[in-house]
Amino acid sequence: MWDGIVIGGGLSGLIAGIRASEKGKRMLVISEGVGSLTYSSGVMDFGDVERLKEEKNHPYALMGETVVRAGMEYFQRLFPDYQGAWQNSQQVLTPLGSPREADLVPTGLNAGVLQKAKEIVLIAPEGMKDFFPEVIKAKLERVYSKAKIEIYPVAVEAFDIWRNSGKLITGMDYAKYWRSDQGAVNLKNILGKLTEEMACSSSGATSGEKQGEKSAIIFPGLAACFSNVLKGVLEEVPLPIVEMTAFPPSASGQFLYEALKQKFKALGGELLVGTGVKKVEFQGKRCHTVIVKSKGKDVTFSAQSFILATGGIFGGGIQVGPKDANESVMGLPLYVPAQWTNSEFLGEQPYAKMGVEVDPELRPLAAGNQEPLFDNVRIVGRLLAHWDPWLDHCGGGVSLASGWLAGEIL
Amino acid sequence: MIDYEVVIVGGGATGVGILRDLSMRGITALLLEQGDLAHGTSSRFHGLLHSGARYAVKDPISASECIEENLILKKIAAPCISNTGGWFVQTVEDDSSFVEQWIKGCAQAQIPIHEVPLSEAYEKEPLLSKEIVRVFEVPDAAVDGFKLVWANAKSAKRYGGHYKTYHQVESFQFEDRRVTGVIARNLLNGEMLTISCKIVVNAAGAWASKIAAFAGVSLEVICDKGTLLAFNQRLFQRVINRLHTPGDGDIFVPHETITILGTTSEIVDSPRENSPLKEEARKLLAIGEEVLPELEKYRVIRAFAGVRPLHREDSDVPGAAEEGREVSRTFALLDHELRDGVRGIVSIVGGKFTTYRLMAEKVTDWVSDKLGNATPCRTAEECLSEVPNTVHEKARRLLPCAAAEKMIDRLGEDADSVLAEIERNPGKGKMLCECEMVSVAEVEKIASDQDTHHLADIRRKTRLGMGTCQGAFCTYRALPLLWKDKGKYDPIEKELTLFINQRWKGIHPVLWGQQLRETELTRAIYASILQLNDNRGE
Repeated sequence: MWDGIVIGGGLSGLIAGIRASEKGKRMLVISEGVGSLTYSSGVMDFGDVERLKEEKNHPYALMGETVVRAGMEYFQRLFPDYQGAWQNSQQVLTPLGSPREADLVPTGLNAGVLQKAKEIVLIAPEGMKDFFPEVIKAKLERVYSKAKIEIYPVAVEAFDIWRNSGKLITGMDYAKYWRSDQGAVNLKNILGKLTEEMACSSSGATSGEKQGEKSAIIFPGLAACFSNVLKGVLEEVPLPIVEMTAFPPSASGQFLYEALKQKFKALGGELLVGTGVKKVEFQGKRCHTVIVKSKGKDVTFSAQSFILATGGIFGGGIQVGPKDANESVMGLPLYVPAQWTNSEFLGEQPYAKMGVEVDPELRPLAAGNQEPLFDNVRIVGRLLAHWDPWLDHCGGGVSLASGWLAGEIL
Repeated sequence: MIDYEVVIVGGGATGVGILRDLSMRGITALLLEQGDLAHGTSSRFHGLLHSGARYAVKDPISASECIEENLILKKIAAPCISNTGGWFVQTVEDDSSFVEQWIKGCAQAQIPIHEVPLSEAYEKEPLLSKEIVRVFEVPDAAVDGFKLVWANAKSAKRYGGHYKTYHQVESFQFEDRRVTGVIARNLLNGEMLTISCKIVVNAAGAWASKIAAFAGVSLEVICDKGTLLAFNQRLFQRVINRLHTPGDGDIFVPHETITILGTTSEIVDSPRENSPLKEEARKLLAIGEEVLPELEKYRVIRAFAGVRPLHREDSDVPGAAEEGREVSRTFALLDHELRDGVRGIVSIVGGKFTTYRLMAEKVTDWVSDKLGNATPCRTAEECLSEVPNTVHEKARRLLPCAAAEKMIDRLGEDADSVLAEIERNPGKGKMLCECEMVSVAEVEKIASDQDTHHLADIRRKTRLGMGTCQGAFCTYRALPLLWKDKGKYDPIEKELTLFINQRWKGIHPVLWGQQLRETELTRAIYASILQLNDNRGE
């Protein structure tokens, strides 16, 4: 008998599992897939909390500002590699080189330093897929109009055999390479050579410190977060190095996912990945057992409490057919808007607010009723109703706050 | 001094067919198209090369025309056609007396049919409903409208024919009730253009009434909207028709790795009403299920709709306007001198894609007669394009096998220059569009074409963005290519947003299952990762 079972091992599910484990609970996370973090940029958006907490039914309104704030602070305590402060967003670069706002950012991604730069070197890792140095350069020239932008090609011998056989090299491949022992040494050499060249060419720079005040390096395909070795390499470079968010798959997202799993396991949590829930058993207003298909045979797990973190439409927590929509695991009632779509693709899309309606303690509500359907089931993350991460840029905020809250009150 | 002997209005299959035929007979001609070639009805259909069997009972003339043209096109346009064959299947719901009439009709039109034993049918098409009673094989095939139109245009160009896309006709010039010229607007830069000519051919399809009106001639075209669904799999290996009175949602046509199911039929007021609706998508699914049970479980990647221009002379078929399918699908050549007393203009209306070549031949015969040109028509014999074997060999050496053949089918002899580029720079052989296997070099070539003005033009010529991801990944990858040609395109963010909004038009009616998941990923990429809905950083 577990204290708690989390169904779904993405961002909100793992945060819930970590928080509950930290409080001494025996936790099991069952996950069919690997969550959506690899598709995300790895930064956490909280959106306009002031506005959203007043929006009827929005998860922020339901949980309250204190909980949203607690979610942010908790994440920072877990991962000091992420910077951020309440209601004080920072800038990171999109894969096209536009600065964008984000609330919690792996240190290396912070692009604030570029505003003062007079000279920006854009590293162009050779043959990197979905990376367009010329387009980015032109964008940077518009945004940082005072700076001189230069493209600096970097070739890595280790990928020669890939290139020759026509295999594409993704940003993820580069990021993993720099994290290897050989890659870190190579990175150190490349950056050493580059800073030397920059020091020579930049007139009037008398010391490294001064150089660092007006020059910066943008390094796509690098994700130093959670790697002490890489952080050590970068610290020795006299210039600020700014990473870029990636077109999927993203290394920053992937490394965060790995770090979350590691943290959960280190706290004694048990993680089953690749295992879908087949059936859930209830007694009265309590859920007591899940049956999963593991290695071809059914396995039964029982727990005091359950947290449903299966994601929304993309994650698979909600399955939509031509005529109806269903919550995948427990068959919970869903909020489904009458009108689904809007002709502006990137505008408001009502269908995106589909999800499970909950009480302030995240318990699912019975259809057309304000009473919780079950006492020991909590809903977190994208499965919650009445929010749209892409319209309101609050995906990180809702996931972290609801995950933290569910773990806290388990 | 005239600019061209003939100006053709309309760049669909009929228009480009006429351009080619005229050019082959040595008549100087210019084609004007308001959008891109094949952007209208010629690409918004199920891509069925009719055997004629569908019309065997109700429309014997169409049936005969279809089978003749079917055999000709398989010969002259082989790279645009996939000779899948087709079946007519009778379900328990379908009337047996119709089947007998149909067999007779096929015999009269000389359409070869033969009955397929049910055991064999289920072996070959395992997804077929178990409620099937009889199955007949016919010489139907799948045809790619884009490819066929472009192959005609390129062939015409080699014979000296000209075309201008994004040029909209605004009025005609007259002399003594004779049309002597066309005034058109370049929609990209607003410039006006006057072209003098001896004859105007109105091949504007659903817009034919509007064009005829410039000559003071009234011409009735019924706009019959047909919605279709594109499934993500090849559900059947051959064309599957229902063996009953032609109705909604009763044809499945396999194309490469997808299947198209269509169509609905609804009279609309304007050719612009070509947005597919959710109700139409559901209706198609419900009818399709009678042939393929549990159809709703298969992934639909998009819905699309075309407007069939059906012709009706006022005295014909009373009440025809209520039901598009009752109006004849055969075509009519309208000599406006005989009909309306206006010289120098002819309209070609009605008809269908399968008979585009025949329609072009009739029009060109009429024009040749007026101009005193005695050169005979050769379009039934001469292939649209001949790609030398050396090009095939080179392509197979430089590209993955499937990608090589797809590219040659799309580009014809132009494939050679793309291959030369890949030879010079092997990196350009990488696939930019992984769903439809379009290489970087191919997109680059098309992007720099003179008649490419939007991302959507690249899509029509290469199929970029038409596969499973519906542009989520390849649109982004096409960016740097547009960037190089930035003088020609709108700001990149605007062009990207325009393109994904166009794709959205066909996705929102089928927003369920895996396609809805894909849509959420696309929104995440464009709204969150690229932040295209947010300009705070600018």
